[in-house]
Amino acid sequence: MSGFQAVAGALPGAPGGPDAPGAAGMSLACGHVSFSYEEARAPIPAVRDVSFELRAGGSLALMGASGSGKSTLLQVVRGLDAPESGAVLLDGAAPTDAGYAALQREVGLVFQAPELQLFASTARDDVAFGPRRLGWPEERVTSAVDTALDVVGLPPARFAERHPYALSGGEQRRLALAGVLAMRPRLLLLDEPFVSLDPGTRRQLVEILHRLKAAGVTLLLATHDVDLAWALCDELLVLGEGRLVAAGPWDFSPDGGRLLAANRLREPFFVELWRRLGRDPQRAPRNAAEAAEALS
Amino acid sequence: MSPSPDESAPLFDISGLHYRYAGAQADALADLDLEVHEGEFVAVLGANGSGKSTLARLLGGLDRPTAARRALACGHDLLAGDGRMAARRDVGVLFQNPENQLVAQCVEDDVAFGLENLAWPATDIGRRVDEMLARFGLEALRLREPHMLSGGQKQRTALAGVIAVPRRVLVLDEPTAMLDPAGRDEVLHAVREMRAEGLAIVYITQEMDEAVGADRVVALERGTEAYTGDAGGLFTDASLVRRLGLGVPAAGELALALGKRGHGLPGLPLTMDELLDALGAAT
Repeated sequence: MSGFQAVAGALPGAPGGPDAPGAAGMSLACGHVSFSYEEARAPIPAVRDVSFELRAGGSLALMGASGSGKSTLLQVVRGLDAPESGAVLLDGAAPTDAGYAALQREVGLVFQAPELQLFASTARDDVAFGPRRLGWPEERVTSAVDTALDVVGLPPARFAERHPYALSGGEQRRLALAGVLAMRPRLLLLDEPFVSLDPGTRRQLVEILHRLKAAGVTLLLATHDVDLAWALCDELLVLGEGRLVAAGPWDFSPDGGRLLAANRLREPFFVELWRRLGRDPQRAPRNAAEAAEALS
Repeated sequence: MSPSPDESAPLFDISGLHYRYAGAQADALADLDLEVHEGEFVAVLGANGSGKSTLARLLGGLDRPTAARRALACGHDLLAGDGRMAARRDVGVLFQNPENQLVAQCVEDDVAFGLENLAWPATDIGRRVDEMLARFGLEALRLREPHMLSGGQKQRTALAGVIAVPRRVLVLDEPTAMLDPAGRDEVLHAVREMRAEGLAIVYITQEMDEAVGADRVVALERGTEAYTGDAGGLFTDASLVRRLGLGVPAAGELALALGKRGHGLPGLPLTMDELLDALGAAT
């Protein structure tokens, strides 16, 4: 649990608001959040007393064994499920504060296999669905849709009028992401976005997420893929049976390694490589290009 | 490594296979040839939408090919209804999401399900289920409800159920996609054991490192075969890899990145150990 203090200590004094210069991202803090699913016999706690903070513009990998509560936590942060106890603070604002609902609308959640939820008859209408529901004027909707399609590599001139079902699986995944990005989220939650994607599409998605990160968007990424988590995220949060096991900077000390193994995880490839080359695993490269630079 | 020129007929003998979904403009599989021999481990790669999962369904006799010059699975004609029924007994198919495959109230019932459908005597079923639970390390979980298991445990349960029925060949469709790293290792270990016992396996994956060491890699592009050969031959062809929407294992990625910086390694390492050897040789 010591990692939690490490995250809190790393936080800047005051999270930047939406209009703060250079602060595109939204800060997130969960305080003692619990949530259970109602079952016939007894409630099964899915998230238990989870507390952590994520600074505006930060990136946090949410990891843990299957069934450890990652998806549930994302849904609670998004506000789709209200926590039974505890609170989700967005930019420091509590659910009872004025303006909280507006902040919630700036949290985007990309579900697992989001392409299953495509429904409109053109790519444009699918992406426009969210912005229209926000009541934006049509001009703003159009520009938001065009931008979002461009960001995910589906240029509107070629793709806007296509039927979503006529797109490939990888294109559908990116279209679903565009639907979330069109609402200009300042905090983006992604639930296993890489599962079943081919390597080419995975590379494109990693690049998109790097660009969003560079633009200051805060990222909370639930994934089993330790290599991509390490490539993309500054910090790590591990859930085990709904409880927070660790949160904070990546830790590849022997203790950190044991913690990963105990939670059915492993070290990223380049971290293992650095260890086996006798280098400091804590300073391991995040990707092949960085590794090549360091070895050249 | 290559299929021995034995007299036995291939387990899959597919030629000119076509499949088109109802209402689709184009074939999902077009003029596909595939031969898989006894004991072979064939990795099938391809971008999203290249036809891999469609192929898995057809090989398992779960769908009728739209057309084929020849479509035999363990000698059964996949173009005929009774041939497909017979193929379903000999060909075990495992899908990427174990949720879709687990049907019973507890693990042992799930493993027994296929055998009960074949009306095996109860004592034989009991013995076979015990054997499967032991083999996949599921003894302690035999009375647990499948939906309460971890992803790796679910997938091992599904695999045990598929294997419980004696099979001649397995078709595994991204069996590790939903799993955490430990669950992935558990399933890969089980697959390696089955391979060591000589079961033929068609292994569909998006994880490039899982294709390393296959007897043969087949890469699909828009429903047709774009490459067949060993993994090294595919991964060293950078333009083909890019065109097919594939990648190379992390070890190879690093070697290629070093090459771009003028520090090429001998050969293209595809595993951590090969990479360490190559780096050692280069310094």
